[in-house]
Amino acid sequence: MPAVVLPDTIEITQAEEHRAANGVPIYALDCSKQEVLRFSFVFPAGTSWQEHPFCAATTANLLSAGSPDHTAHEIAEALDFYGSWYDVSVDRDASVISFCSLLKFLPQTLALAEEILLHPTFPEEEVDIYRTKRQQRLAVERSKPDFCVRELFARRLFGSEHPYGRSYPAECYDTLTREQLIEFYNSHYTAAGSFVVASGNVTDEALAALKRIAEGLPSAPITPTREIPAPVSEGSVHQPFEGTVQTSIRIGRLLFPRHHDDFIGMQVVATLLGGYFGSRLIRNLREEHGYTYGAYCGVVNFDEAGYLAISTEVGSEVAEEAINEIMKEIERLRTEPVSEEELENVRKIIFGEVMRILDGPFGIADVTIENIQNGESNDYTSRMLQTIKAITPADVLALAQKYLSPTDLITVTLGG
Amino acid sequence: MIDYVSTILPNGLQVVVNRDHASKMAAVTLLYRVGSKHESPDRTGFAHLFEHLMFRGTERVPDFDAPVQAACGENNAYTTADYTNFYITLPRENIATALYLEADRMTSLDISAEALAAEKSVVVEEFNQRYLNQPYGDQWMLLRGEAYRASHYRWATIGLTPDHIRAASHYEVRAFYDRYYQPSNAILSLSADIAEEQMIAMAEEWFGDIPSTPAPLFTPATEPVQSAPRRLEVERAVPADQISIAIRMEPRTSRCHYLCDLLTDLMAGGESARFYQRLVKEQQIFSSTNAFITGEVDGGLFVAIGQLNPGVTIEQAEEAVWRELLTFATEPVGAKELEKVRNKFEANILFGELNVMNKAMNLSYYAMLGDMSLLNGEVAIYNSITPEEIMDFSQKFFRRDQSTTLVIRSKR
Repeated sequence: MPAVVLPDTIEITQAEEHRAANGVPIYALDCSKQEVLRFSFVFPAGTSWQEHPFCAATTANLLSAGSPDHTAHEIAEALDFYGSWYDVSVDRDASVISFCSLLKFLPQTLALAEEILLHPTFPEEEVDIYRTKRQQRLAVERSKPDFCVRELFARRLFGSEHPYGRSYPAECYDTLTREQLIEFYNSHYTAAGSFVVASGNVTDEALAALKRIAEGLPSAPITPTREIPAPVSEGSVHQPFEGTVQTSIRIGRLLFPRHHDDFIGMQVVATLLGGYFGSRLIRNLREEHGYTYGAYCGVVNFDEAGYLAISTEVGSEVAEEAINEIMKEIERLRTEPVSEEELENVRKIIFGEVMRILDGPFGIADVTIENIQNGESNDYTSRMLQTIKAITPADVLALAQKYLSPTDLITVTLGG
Repeated sequence: MIDYVSTILPNGLQVVVNRDHASKMAAVTLLYRVGSKHESPDRTGFAHLFEHLMFRGTERVPDFDAPVQAACGENNAYTTADYTNFYITLPRENIATALYLEADRMTSLDISAEALAAEKSVVVEEFNQRYLNQPYGDQWMLLRGEAYRASHYRWATIGLTPDHIRAASHYEVRAFYDRYYQPSNAILSLSADIAEEQMIAMAEEWFGDIPSTPAPLFTPATEPVQSAPRRLEVERAVPADQISIAIRMEPRTSRCHYLCDLLTDLMAGGESARFYQRLVKEQQIFSSTNAFITGEVDGGLFVAIGQLNPGVTIEQAEEAVWRELLTFATEPVGAKELEKVRNKFEANILFGELNVMNKAMNLSYYAMLGDMSLLNGEVAIYNSITPEEIMDFSQKFFRRDQSTTLVIRSKR
């Protein structure tokens, strides 16, 4: 077999930090010879900030639904006409509004971005159409076991009233008003806590235009605050689901918010257990027993909390056996030190994954956004890799013992 | 624009390479010209099952994933109706590992009875998870079964039933491997920051000694002439009624493909497109709609699809879709609307050239189609399509007697 070379470290483009006059940071990643530019505006406007159900996502999704000068149709028409890619993503903490443009249509795309970000009007009829559409889409999603188990797991993990755990009936769309959207926009789409990341072919003109847009964001009269109470797990549960041939299994626990000292170590633990194809869970549940098509373990962090989750869908007749096998694998992590060989393999998995994500301007932008949210520069990624290089089997064992006690885990199943 | 060099080794393996000057990664794909259309009607799903077995190891490499991961790589594969594609990305320095592993499993696959049994049950669970345990999960199976009568496209790659997968024998696995997993039936593509001639030399080094066998022949079945609309109505536990209208297309490299592709973009390429603006927003008939082509080599399907808003009847929805389709036959598309979809093709092509894996995938795909000039030539084809041609084509193509309609009614 050919000899393998291991990258000693991974170079990542440093973000050049600029600042708009109102203080909004703009990070430029000049990392492409391609004729494209992507830029993302990040706002503290995720679902945990909302006071009304569905308000955060609706506000973000309707930013492009009309401005004083253009209708929703005209804006959509223009974005499509220039071949610009426009994307809205909303998670628990943040909303990310992204544009990607060919350089030759960049001025037009920037002008559209300005309208969308600074001058949305949320027309009543657009809100109506959106409500109907989303209600129905949610009904479709809630007829899928994988969607329902995600919601159920979040409720059991954080508590069904907790901002990170809560889910709402589709009828709540009926009471969502245009005024609530405008209020949410006015208080959360401001200069406070927002930032911009531009990657690809970042020209001086583009940078100046991004500054101008950022400077149009009002300085918030009051910096928005939110109450995130301590999550309280509601424990294990089984929920029947009609007409399914499989059972969805989620096993996990609350962990820690972003930037905890054990975060990187727990990423190694989660990868070892179920973070790649060939992980212990895959070898056991898929290769050895044929219980499942896939099994996964990962660590997720928010601003104010975090969790570890194991997930798999298995034939309902073997659900109990599958859970037993998962528990056995967890027990093994807690009692046997991992071999240096397997650990080295996991290090390589993580290195390879980071290299792949960083291959191309879009991936670099995503990594940069996450680092900024963690209060870090892109040096963090290099430091993370050095930490992973230095981790020992004893460290992994200690982490597993500290965090994977069976009494701390909850098991949520949905299906037959 | 993707630069490439293409050559065929004496044993029949086609090698296509691209030099990328920016990336530190290498992408390797090995495409075999075998998919679900090559299956026997009582062993549907076999090509996809076999794709899984290709990861079950050889004598020298008992676990395929381990050495890929040891080289900081990642690999996977997918099966379509026409071909099966295996791909690996890894740091450029380790490209030889990928070539070694692919050459090894092209010649020395070793499947035990236990491995076959375990993999069959994995695939049955995949069948369950993706096709049975999802609302509308069986829609493509139903639609294909109705739109095609003779073609092997009448079943989906996952197969007609889990029973076919359960019945696959060890002997059949061996025969399939010997017949299809040969250099003369494969295309190797590479994209990395390595000189082209060096990449070709590496391909020769690792694959050149594999003996050649003649490439298997495949003749697509001729569909009987359709003379009346086809219709299938089923009831399922789904949240909303859904209607799909499908029309069979001519082969992938025909003008029909590009016209349909452009038409589906006019219909459903983004929020400004006609379906969303008219059927979702103005008339509020559907909560969501789409139009797309399935793209099979010997002639795929044009599909228009929508999920109905509560209170809308199937008949109203069906007529609304046909009104949109027939508008293309009676009114020329405006210059600006046409320019919009052309810009979009250009942008999508450029966005798709940003990493080595996308480029390697494109290389092997166009080699599989048998016309490398299409790799960089499709923008010109789209640009050559005029409003008159769209109208002419639509008059001939959008005919009810050539269509297949699938209605899924909600049980609730």
